[in-house]
Amino acid sequence: MVILNSVDELLSHIKEVQQDAISLSRESLLMISNFIEKNSLEIDNDVVTALQYQDIISQQLTATIEAINSVQSSLDRFSHSYQTDENLVLESMKKLQDKFGVVLSEAKDKKSRFAGKSVNSDVPSEEIEFF
Amino acid sequence: MPLVIFVDDSETALASTRMVTNSMPIEVKQYTEAQKALAEIKAGMTPDLIITDLNMPVMNGLEFLQALRALPSTSRTPCLMLTTETKTELKEQGKALGLTGWIVKPFNPAQLKQAITRVLRLPA
Repeated sequence: MVILNSVDELLSHIKEVQQDAISLSRESLLMISNFIEKNSLEIDNDVVTALQYQDIISQQLTATIEAINSVQSSLDRFSHSYQTDENLVLESMKKLQDKFGVVLSEAKDKKSRFAGKSVNSDVPSEEIEFF
Repeated sequence: MPLVIFVDDSETALASTRMVTNSMPIEVKQYTEAQKALAEIKAGMTPDLIITDLNMPVMNGLEFLQALRALPSTSRTPCLMLTTETKTELKEQGKALGLTGWIVKPFNPAQLKQAITRVLRLPA
């Protein structure tokens, strides 16, 4: 199961890169917003939108990190059952495949849900819904 | 001045709402954790409007709203959800908890100002 260890390491690396991207994008936009506020600069709609995109980027990446965590957990369980009883490998492979399907489906759902109006064309662009 | 509190775990989202509302005749307090806002409300803070994000760690926007509705001082305080979420079921859950409205990010600054003006009945 050396290959699974390599996959696990690769996934951990991707998570690290994503976490760094979240931190850097947040830091960069906070620097810009601090500059704007410190100098009392007038902002327009585009600046406000840009600041909010960071939040969306962060949520999208966090959702994929959660998906990677689920995949790693499933790989770990598969690896454990394989080592315990090789006869269970086919059954475990099927469970692993099913789990990957669920993780992918949840990740795609979150991609759509956490995008707000940035990529969802079906969301009315100028609407506040009052109940 | 009416007190408006914003709750969002994203500091950049809070910065954007701060910049948009700084010219309005309102007092603004911001929190990155719903439980901290809740603690201040329990300690006596009485906001006139609460604007909260939905997806937050520890306590999400709907849990926060539920906790607010259980307190006598905020059982009827207007609350707006400001979120990237567009799921109808979540909107319905919010509505059932007495949510005032739902704003999808990225918001339009003029519309956010209009919503606050409308809910607080500020002079237009």
